[in-house]
Amino acid sequence: MATAPYNYSYIFKYIIIGDMGVGKSCLLHQFTEKKFMADCPHTIGVEFGTRIIEVSGQKIKLQIWDTAGQERFRAVTRSYYRGAAGALMVYDITRRSTYNHLSSWLTDARNLTNPNTVIILIGNKADLEAQRDVTYDEAKQFAEENGLLFLEASAKTGENVEDAFLEAAKKIYQNIQDGSLDLNAAESGVQHKPSAPQGGRLTSEPQPQREGCGC
Amino acid sequence: MSFFKRKAKSKEPERPADAKVNRGPAPPASLPSPSLGGVRNQHAIQEAAGPSHVAINVISANMDSFARGRTAILKKQPSHMEAAHFGDLGRSSVNYMSQETRSRLSKTLEQIVRDGVAAPYYVQFLETQGADHLVRFWLEAERFRSSSWSRVRAHNLNSVKHSSLAEPVPASPEGAEAPVAPGTPTTAAATTGLGLWDSSGEGPVPQVPHRETLGVDGDGRPGTPGTPSRQTPTSRTGTPLKQQSTSALRDLSDSLIKSIENEAVTIFTKNISPDATRPIPITEQIRNDIVAKICGEDGLVDPNCFVIAQSVVFIILETQHFTEFLRSHHFCKYQIEVLTSGSVFLADILFSESALFYFSEYMEKEEAVNVLQFWLAADNFQDQLAAKKGQYDGQEAQNDAMILYDKYFSLQATNPLGFGDSVRMEIESNICREGGPLPDCFTTPLRQAWTTMETVYMPGFLSSNLYYKYLSDLINSVRADEFVTTGTPAGQGGSADGDRGASSEASQAQHGTKKAAVRILKNFDEAITVDASSLDPEVLYQRPYAGKMTFGKVNELGQFIREAEPEPDVKKSKGSMFSLAMKKWVQGNSDEAQEEMAWKIAKMIVNDVIHQSNHDSPGKSTKGNPKAGRSPLEAAGATLV
Repeated sequence: MATAPYNYSYIFKYIIIGDMGVGKSCLLHQFTEKKFMADCPHTIGVEFGTRIIEVSGQKIKLQIWDTAGQERFRAVTRSYYRGAAGALMVYDITRRSTYNHLSSWLTDARNLTNPNTVIILIGNKADLEAQRDVTYDEAKQFAEENGLLFLEASAKTGENVEDAFLEAAKKIYQNIQDGSLDLNAAESGVQHKPSAPQGGRLTSEPQPQREGCGC
Repeated sequence: MSFFKRKAKSKEPERPADAKVNRGPAPPASLPSPSLGGVRNQHAIQEAAGPSHVAINVISANMDSFARGRTAILKKQPSHMEAAHFGDLGRSSVNYMSQETRSRLSKTLEQIVRDGVAAPYYVQFLETQGADHLVRFWLEAERFRSSSWSRVRAHNLNSVKHSSLAEPVPASPEGAEAPVAPGTPTTAAATTGLGLWDSSGEGPVPQVPHRETLGVDGDGRPGTPGTPSRQTPTSRTGTPLKQQSTSALRDLSDSLIKSIENEAVTIFTKNISPDATRPIPITEQIRNDIVAKICGEDGLVDPNCFVIAQSVVFIILETQHFTEFLRSHHFCKYQIEVLTSGSVFLADILFSESALFYFSEYMEKEEAVNVLQFWLAADNFQDQLAAKKGQYDGQEAQNDAMILYDKYFSLQATNPLGFGDSVRMEIESNICREGGPLPDCFTTPLRQAWTTMETVYMPGFLSSNLYYKYLSDLINSVRADEFVTTGTPAGQGGSADGDRGASSEASQAQHGTKKAAVRILKNFDEAITVDASSLDPEVLYQRPYAGKMTFGKVNELGQFIREAEPEPDVKKSKGSMFSLAMKKWVQGNSDEAQEEMAWKIAKMIVNDVIHQSNHDSPGKSTKGNPKAGRSPLEAAGATLV
């Protein structure tokens, strides 16, 4: 992944959680490589992938931690939740059970991440309309009740995959702008590199550190 | 004794020796963090809570030489990997054991209360919550429990010795040494015991009678709390002076029993009795149980009398007061202390999610992210397998292992890491063994990956901008929590990103945080200066002051404000950029600060004068030329400066 170094002003840490087989790794792969992995093996523990996106004219690198969905890895993956700026909670629209388990995943996410962490619910495999087991509306309602963003996506076709990551990033960025997310807190899940150095001893004006790069 | 001197402030030359000490059998209630664990007494606990007050002393000493010392430690970090050094438990690749590596930055409650460095921060946090009495009780009870057991054992040992006095043994000189150096860390148990016991006053009591029996009863062990649990009672009792030793021993046992009793009663009155000022929330039943155990029929206090209450308290702490602590700035302060202690281990980075966030970015920049990915996956795999304690599906484990094999080891691997043939074949046989792979299946390549990260990448990471940024973030989160920073009069012109965090805060920063930050600066004095300018190309070509193109301007008070970077040549000299920043904070009476004060006062006076002249005669104030306007100012300035 040839990224020009220092090209981005922020790094956001994401985690992807959800039952096994819902398509977390495929979503990540589609997002970072723009390809669909037809036969991808299940994730062992965690893996991470990165990609640079742009939000409000700011280049932001996403460091996305893809966790294993198998129950046996649940204990080890829990240690990666902390310090995440954003979380993608994924279920499979063709398998009801994966939707029913969402409350458990949500509990974990809420307990282990910051109060400010942006959680987005993703209903994956939207291309398999014929086998749909969870309606859009009920999932939308669930998301609203719990204060989550919501999108249905397809890692196979790429539909809404970018948006999934982008929407969360926009929300995080907004939180930074309005101050609810402290940029300089160590557990915020955000690394911030101002591209222009903060001012020197020009005036006695306070330099609000939250404003990112001063451009 | 040197072990106990080694806190965050002192240097690491003792580390290999101390690590050897800690390789002894792990005691039940031990301080697991060997590197910073030496908390000697209550006073030391308070000291540890404010690591930077030591830094202040250091700063007033010769700063440069200290900086050299600090960075020297950083630079020679991998030295503990040489065969001669044991390193710390499981942290160095020499002794890589996957299940034992833990980060000092990520702790469970259990680990925190047993860690002499972390515990004070937890106590501080609980103070803000008004729940510190809980943890204090827990700590006291724990200390009581382990010390009492040792003393009881000592008592029993004495009785045993009594009966085996027949064995003629030369009084060994070793016995003489034991009571003399009560703090000798002959075992890891000593660290726990002595770390918390010296303040109890029990220490001297048992030792005194022993000095009398020095040459005779070589068993100085009972007098040194903590050590008896480890040293086997070699029969060193001399027969000739048996009588003398018997009575001395009896006195000793009595005083031991008494002291245990006193301690138990103290703890009880302070925490458990109904009219204690801040009783812990336990049921009547438990309270009665404790009373029964303290006032045992045989006159002996049961050292485990508080255990049930302890577990009740522990659960309360864990459920109500732990998650918040991990999010609090107190925990950040603790992390800062660990990270600036001068020796950060790879385990600290890899097992702490916040440090890992930065390290992953670093590895990606270094194009070595595969090593890290492999290590994460294989370590997680082994962890979850080990956690099953043998009860796992071999086929499932094999499938998992094959996924890793295909990705990293096979000849058609998608992400080959360059493992040698011998490793590959070892993995193959580990995976294909009857019954499926064992939890140590990938230990060899894991160790290799660990070593690679430790030797090749970690030193660079620790002196990188990213790491400095991480530390700045930690400091800033502490600051943000501790007080409101209304304005940040800009510090030195920021040439590096990290610099901004360090130098832009007001000099009114609170003592603790300021010192913590100051320590950090000291640590990275030389290394960071070099890297900051070379790593960040943005800085090289950007001219933050280019826009103004002036040297300065004169404000309404006649004060000249520089636009250009002050003293640019200073930056080039090693570390002084940071030294200046530090000086500014630490020495409140620096020239510049004084001057600022003077200007402020002058401004007040001028305003006053203008006010008055406005009242007196509106016309008069304008007749003055600038000089007139300035003379009161100059006069004020002259008198003040």
